[in-house]
Amino acid sequence: MILAVLVPLLIACFIPALSKLKAKIHTGIFVFFVPFIIFLYFVQFVGNDFSPQIEQYSWIPSLGINLDFYLDGLSLLFVLLISGIGSLVVLYSIYYLHKSERLGHFYVYLLMFMSAMLGVVLSDNIFVLYTFWELTSISSFLLIGYWHFKERSRYGALKSMLITVFGGLSMLGGFILLYVVTGTTSIQEMISQVDVILDSNYLPLILGFILLGAFTKSAQFPFHIWLPDAMEAPTPVSAYLHSATMVKAGIFLIARFSPIFSSYEWFFLIVSIVGIITLCWGSYMSVRQTDLKAILAFSTISQLGMIMAMLGFGTTIAVFAAVFHILNHATFKGSLFMIAGIVDHETGTRDIRKLGGLATFMPITATLAIFATFSMAGVPLPFLNGFYSKELFFDAGIQLDNSGFWSQAIPYLAVLGSIFTFVYSMYLFFGTFTGKKHLEQLPKKPHEAPFGMLVSPIILVLGVILIGLLPNMANAPFLQHAAEAINGDTEFYKVKFWHGWDSPAFRMSLVVVTLGIILFVTRKRWQAVYQVLPGKASFNKVYDAIVANMDSVSRSVTNFYMTGSLKTYMSLILGTTLVVSFFVMFVSNGFTVSTDQLADISFIEIAVVLIMIIAAIGTIYMNHNVAAVLVLGVVGFGVAILFVIYRAPDIALTQLVIETVSVALFLLCFYHLPKLRKSTDSAKTKTMNAIISIGFGALITMVAISAHSSRWFESISDYFVENSYKLGGGDNIVNVILVDMRGLDTLFEIAVLGIAALAIFGLIKNKKNKEAE
Amino acid sequence: MSNLAVLPIIIPLISAVILIFFNQKVKVSRALSKLFSLISLGTSSYITWYVFTNGTIILETGDWLAPYGIILVMDGLAAILVLTTNIIAVACAFYAPNAGLEKRETFYFYPFFFFLITGVSGAFITGDLFNLFVFFEVLLMASYGLIVLGGGKVQLRESLKYLLINLFSSMLFVTAVAFLYAVVGTVNMAQIAQRVQEVEQQGILTTIGILLFFVFATKAALFPLYYWLPKSYIVPNPVISALFGALLTKVGIYSILRVFTLIFVHKTDMTHEMFIWIAGLSMIFGVIGALSTSNIKLIIAYNIIPAIGFIILGIGLLNQDGISGSIYYLINDMIIKSVLFLLVGVIAYVAGTSDLRKMGGLIHYYPFLGWLLFVSALVLAGLPPFSGFIGKLLLLKGAFEQGEIAIVIIGLITSLLILYSVVKIFINGFWGDKETMAELPKKSTKGLLAPVVGLLALSVILGVGAEFFYPHIESIATYLLDPEIYIDSVLKE
Repeated sequence: MILAVLVPLLIACFIPALSKLKAKIHTGIFVFFVPFIIFLYFVQFVGNDFSPQIEQYSWIPSLGINLDFYLDGLSLLFVLLISGIGSLVVLYSIYYLHKSERLGHFYVYLLMFMSAMLGVVLSDNIFVLYTFWELTSISSFLLIGYWHFKERSRYGALKSMLITVFGGLSMLGGFILLYVVTGTTSIQEMISQVDVILDSNYLPLILGFILLGAFTKSAQFPFHIWLPDAMEAPTPVSAYLHSATMVKAGIFLIARFSPIFSSYEWFFLIVSIVGIITLCWGSYMSVRQTDLKAILAFSTISQLGMIMAMLGFGTTIAVFAAVFHILNHATFKGSLFMIAGIVDHETGTRDIRKLGGLATFMPITATLAIFATFSMAGVPLPFLNGFYSKELFFDAGIQLDNSGFWSQAIPYLAVLGSIFTFVYSMYLFFGTFTGKKHLEQLPKKPHEAPFGMLVSPIILVLGVILIGLLPNMANAPFLQHAAEAINGDTEFYKVKFWHGWDSPAFRMSLVVVTLGIILFVTRKRWQAVYQVLPGKASFNKVYDAIVANMDSVSRSVTNFYMTGSLKTYMSLILGTTLVVSFFVMFVSNGFTVSTDQLADISFIEIAVVLIMIIAAIGTIYMNHNVAAVLVLGVVGFGVAILFVIYRAPDIALTQLVIETVSVALFLLCFYHLPKLRKSTDSAKTKTMNAIISIGFGALITMVAISAHSSRWFESISDYFVENSYKLGGGDNIVNVILVDMRGLDTLFEIAVLGIAALAIFGLIKNKKNKEAE
Repeated sequence: MSNLAVLPIIIPLISAVILIFFNQKVKVSRALSKLFSLISLGTSSYITWYVFTNGTIILETGDWLAPYGIILVMDGLAAILVLTTNIIAVACAFYAPNAGLEKRETFYFYPFFFFLITGVSGAFITGDLFNLFVFFEVLLMASYGLIVLGGGKVQLRESLKYLLINLFSSMLFVTAVAFLYAVVGTVNMAQIAQRVQEVEQQGILTTIGILLFFVFATKAALFPLYYWLPKSYIVPNPVISALFGALLTKVGIYSILRVFTLIFVHKTDMTHEMFIWIAGLSMIFGVIGALSTSNIKLIIAYNIIPAIGFIILGIGLLNQDGISGSIYYLINDMIIKSVLFLLVGVIAYVAGTSDLRKMGGLIHYYPFLGWLLFVSALVLAGLPPFSGFIGKLLLLKGAFEQGEIAIVIIGLITSLLILYSVVKIFINGFWGDKETMAELPKKSTKGLLAPVVGLLALSVILGVGAEFFYPHIESIATYLLDPEIYIDSVLKE
């Protein structure tokens, strides 16, 4: 299995080389064999006696990340879809994409996606699943942006990525929580610990996180907005990713985790309600579209909603119907996308208003379309697979436990959604292939597509018919295993075409068809309803507003405090330090005063300190550079005097020298500097600044007093005093410390001075250089 | 073998001094820099191997016994950070000759470069709080030298803010060390830890800890102290920005990691809980900053802040997964930030502007550059299987274990926005019509991309091959969470 997952990625590495040959051989021909062989490999597993297989490889075992691949009925269904539809799509793309396109890029992304998608459905390890999940988002991003010179493509690509990666991250949150709660990273082991998960306080959060992931990926209301924009991708991509496979990843996720959540009431409620709303909204909106692919996009949204709703119901019949419909939807929707692509390719437009009457030009395409659309509409004919799953869906809706409001409303909503499904299906077929011809509006003269392009849709439509004729053919060897993986039911479900006149599901179908025909015929008259609902409201606007505001709000927020003024920065930094430190000092009872170890204070000390204080305050009020520096110098010399009083003549000398030199330097510099301007700050700012600076002074003073009052330990300086002569051989303890005991400090302080000298030298040289130029 | 501990400091120091003499000989300087950085990398690789096989190396400099002399402590954390620093140094040394420094190379670029490495390595290795201050000075002074290198008015203006704010925080640093010395009577970190533990971090100690935290947080550019960072990081040459982005803030966050796992760990309800808040705010405001601009260099500079937020989150959690996550994320971020700074440097160079609004369609001319940026964006956002993911996974798991739900949600949303902020460069700068920048002269990116590719490959390996690295990181985290080991190994009791 690991080979099947990684082979597309490996082959992708060779595509750039192979694409050089594209003048002779279309790159797609090489690529075709990849999914096809994978398909053949997995087909062998289909059979009545299939039992789940597991394959394990270590990757990062110490973090619980392992390449554990688990093939059960559910994964098998998806794997066959991915590889099967994948083969057909690649085949189709060979004719769809001209050799002048950047084929290398296209197929690299497509193969990347294939690996990713196979990985998603086969991984048993949550983190590996997540890895592949994000890879599907990224490859989808690249594929949507394939024609990136178009503004719409870039918009669609970004939108799909933001929404699906958002969901992916949320899912990651849920996975990590599951890991924390269960202590395992294997989904199968989690399923065996259902009780632990259900008892956890985090259950609502886990469910919410995971559902967000599933809903965004599967384009459920209100996250569906990315899917219509994803239609900017080349049509084979839409058929493959945005209809048959990737958007079903969310469905897969829900199905995969059903055994864990199914007995949790909220799971039923949220998943079925979101699903059914999506069904209705998608089909309702679809009727309004004019672009063939947009109709199909909303149709896909709506069908995904239907499958989602059935998984939410969770009953035997619903789950079976969901699995059945996953297969059916892939067949008819896949072929419809390809048909839309053919129409686009052969007429040059996808605008249904310009199309019409194409059946005479493209008879084969039209025939295929009729099967696919009627199957999608759920027309009760015994050779259309869509009808069977639709009717099972109705059955499942009715059989719900009729206690709550939603359980009762669901059958009605199901019918409502299906009526619109019927309408857009008819609209899609008749609008394109029958009616008046508008040849003059078409960019190209329409004609039937080349045979190669028709092969894939023909195979899919044959699938529609075959499943329609023999609906139970795939049950025992295939679908039943998938359903069993979801709800554990081994009961064999038999699909019947005819349930009798009194079967409620059949009556619902009749209602759908009757009302559907009426609405379709009269559709021009009720189009006005879209002015009311949704009217001008749209979730796209919400998205656009969020993205646009993200830029402008972030700009104004950032510019608010990033003023570029050093004064602002300093007051913010000091202010924060001040507030937090005071708070901590207060809470931790940090402030202590002890008068035990104080020396006597002489008059002269008081006098010196007073002078220093006055001088320091005075500096602020000086309006002249020179005056300010001189007054500041008083503070420095005061410090020197204090050193003298404390009998540290060498330090006092140093201080004196530094002070003299810096005052002199300042005076020299001021010659070149502009005059001090009077501060233009408002009184409010000035007060604020005063509070901050006085506060900060107070803080430092209080910490200093407390630190002095908490001398709990003997200082290591006693050791220096004892040993400076004995071990260091020097009388002057300061010297011994500087050059020996802490020589390393000194070495690097010298280095600092050296660097400073070089930096200044560099600056001056720089200036000279500039002047020379 | 204990002398090994001093080599990562001495080798770049000597290199810097030698290079001063070859200042005017650009070719010699370049060759020597490459050679010296490789020697230093080789040495630190050997040291890392040695530390992980034989345990922490303690060097009592000048044979003055602990706690009286300056002690160098080359433990697992120090070794791995020194190694990462040297890897980045090699990449920058190979990038620099092509970085368009021109005459600035003769303004002592290479000596400053090695002085910076000296300071950074020293800060990682030292076991002495005052000595840490000294190494901070070395790296800051070197950074002042680099930031003003050949600058015009704008550069000098931003440099001045950078300089003044850092000067202030250095001042506060010494003051806080003095306070701490007054209380515990020592500057040896192991002994400080031992004594703080003895009195259960009572009284004023927590406040002093917070003051130290603010000193480091200013250097680390945490919320709300990072104002100086974004603009001053983008004014110098890209290779200098890369060095700053990869190393300088990381020294600050390393110091927090060291001090708040070793010394101030007894009143976590006040300190570490606050870190979690700060982590969240740094993530939010940092990423908002990244979204606020269309200057590609500034986008990357702002992205430093949320990354630091992620790292401090783990320190705040102070559990096994949190600390492992912080270290993993720290190493990842050092590498990916240098990659991104170097990359946007190249992009701005070929596009002739750093304004995203004036770019478009670059992928038609520079496809390889575009894909490098794309992959880097994924790494930065922490998508699997790259190295950012491993760190983030551990951090979020650690947060859940502690019941910190809100921070996880903030972290997840931040990841999305980080991705958006950088992918924006890809979409608007690289995608688009071929014609947009057709008139632009095609420039050679020769020699600029190889170092970037090397670093990026490393970050892929750190992710895909996490099984090889993670157990070591995990053992470092276990070691950090038990301060006794550090104390005993230094004080030998």
